[in-house]
Amino acid sequence: MSMISIRSVSKHYGDFQVLTDCSTEVDKGEVIVVCGPSGSGKSTLIKCVNGLEPFQKGEIVVNGVSVGDPQTDLPKLRAHVGMVFQHFELFPHMTIEQNLAVAQIKVLGRPKEEALEKGLGLLDRVGLKAHAHKHPGQLSGGQQQRVAIARALAMDPICMLFDEPTSALDPEMINEVLDVMVALAKEGMTMMVVTHEMGFARKVANRVIFMDQGHIVEDARKEEFFGTPRSERAQLFLSKILSH
Amino acid sequence: MAYAWHWEIFLQPAASGETTYLGWVLAGFETTIVLSLLAWVMALLLGALMGVLRTVPNRYLSGLATAYVEFFRNVPLLVQLFSWYFVLPELLPPAWGNAYKQLNPFLQQFLAAVICLGLFTGARVCEQVRSGIESLPRGQKNAGLALGLTLPQTYRHVMLPMAFRLILPPLTSEFLNTFKNSAVASTIGLLELAAQGRQLVDYTAQPYESFIAITVLYMIINIVVMTAMRWLELRVRVPGYIGSK
Repeated sequence: MSMISIRSVSKHYGDFQVLTDCSTEVDKGEVIVVCGPSGSGKSTLIKCVNGLEPFQKGEIVVNGVSVGDPQTDLPKLRAHVGMVFQHFELFPHMTIEQNLAVAQIKVLGRPKEEALEKGLGLLDRVGLKAHAHKHPGQLSGGQQQRVAIARALAMDPICMLFDEPTSALDPEMINEVLDVMVALAKEGMTMMVVTHEMGFARKVANRVIFMDQGHIVEDARKEEFFGTPRSERAQLFLSKILSH
Repeated sequence: MAYAWHWEIFLQPAASGETTYLGWVLAGFETTIVLSLLAWVMALLLGALMGVLRTVPNRYLSGLATAYVEFFRNVPLLVQLFSWYFVLPELLPPAWGNAYKQLNPFLQQFLAAVICLGLFTGARVCEQVRSGIESLPRGQKNAGLALGLTLPQTYRHVMLPMAFRLILPPLTSEFLNTFKNSAVASTIGLLELAAQGRQLVDYTAQPYESFIAITVLYMIINIVVMTAMRWLELRVRVPGYIGSK
């Protein structure tokens, strides 16, 4: 059974069509990389998966629950769908350990001690245990993004969404974040990753989705995508970003 | 300048008999402080609520908050005060209006002044809360929601704690304005600090001493408020965040 099922999703802001008839399936344990030029709708698509962006047509089903159904308890669904943002979005007024604990306590109802302990364990895993009492503003971008990943993991997610997790980072910090993501992928986490990091895609992705102007132009196994992309648009895109 | 200074008037028994002129001034000082603090608490609560409502994705709730702001921000404070004091009791059901008119005059004036000042200042606080919320990075709300927090929880734990930190400096000005605006209550006869100053001039014919005294007292209030708010700003500042050390 697929974990995330996107069926003929369309979305528009007024007259502007952001997504047109997008469909794909993400199976449990699969890692999907979504790439494409800016403005192609990839971030919007991923935000539709946990209902942060509404869509007008089609259906998205996550673990058997329909996201667009008005009856759906969205907070409950989101609690188990981890999301990592381009600009980290840690809560600046909380310490790192509070950032990791707040949703565990308020959403999952875990006791405070348990939440803090779980948070510390995850911080250790991303190599930041020593920073538990600092505030986000005192960490580097790469460190903040690793904390953000740990924060999402603290909720025991059934799948993870990454929205350009490395595009706001300095080059030397990108790898520390990608390493955490690669480890996560190898453990069998279901992941949908919007990124331009083709090295990451080659290493761990099962499939690559290429989007352009709101359409899913290509949805192929990674070997096919990098070897013989079918569409001209994807070939052009690849030749541009792989030429360096 | 041929002016005969008589600072000793403050120690002389006042015309009312039971106290000195200093006693009059201090009674006004107390009224100004209690009136302004009550109005400020009301303004903060109402302003926070309305400020949040202005930003929620519900047309009716945000429309209600917008109507509140536009009404109370666009009518002069003095007109509002006269409406509360002179007009509203006539519009209430007769039983309520009469009950109000049977309160002692001081309480009638005091109530009208607190409600008027609280609602007026609340509209201004509301706009600051709204601007604080809107100046947060958009992703903060999404980050809260993505973790499974409900919208009210996201406001409570994620957005409002930062929004209030951002608007502390303008809120300080608003707090100071509340004390200064409270002087309009003298126009409906409430004997607060400004009214006591004018009364003092009438009774002692020493305008300089009288107005210097109330000026100093207003300044003391404002210096205390400024110091307290500065302390609060330092206490809640976020390490590593823009604008803090």
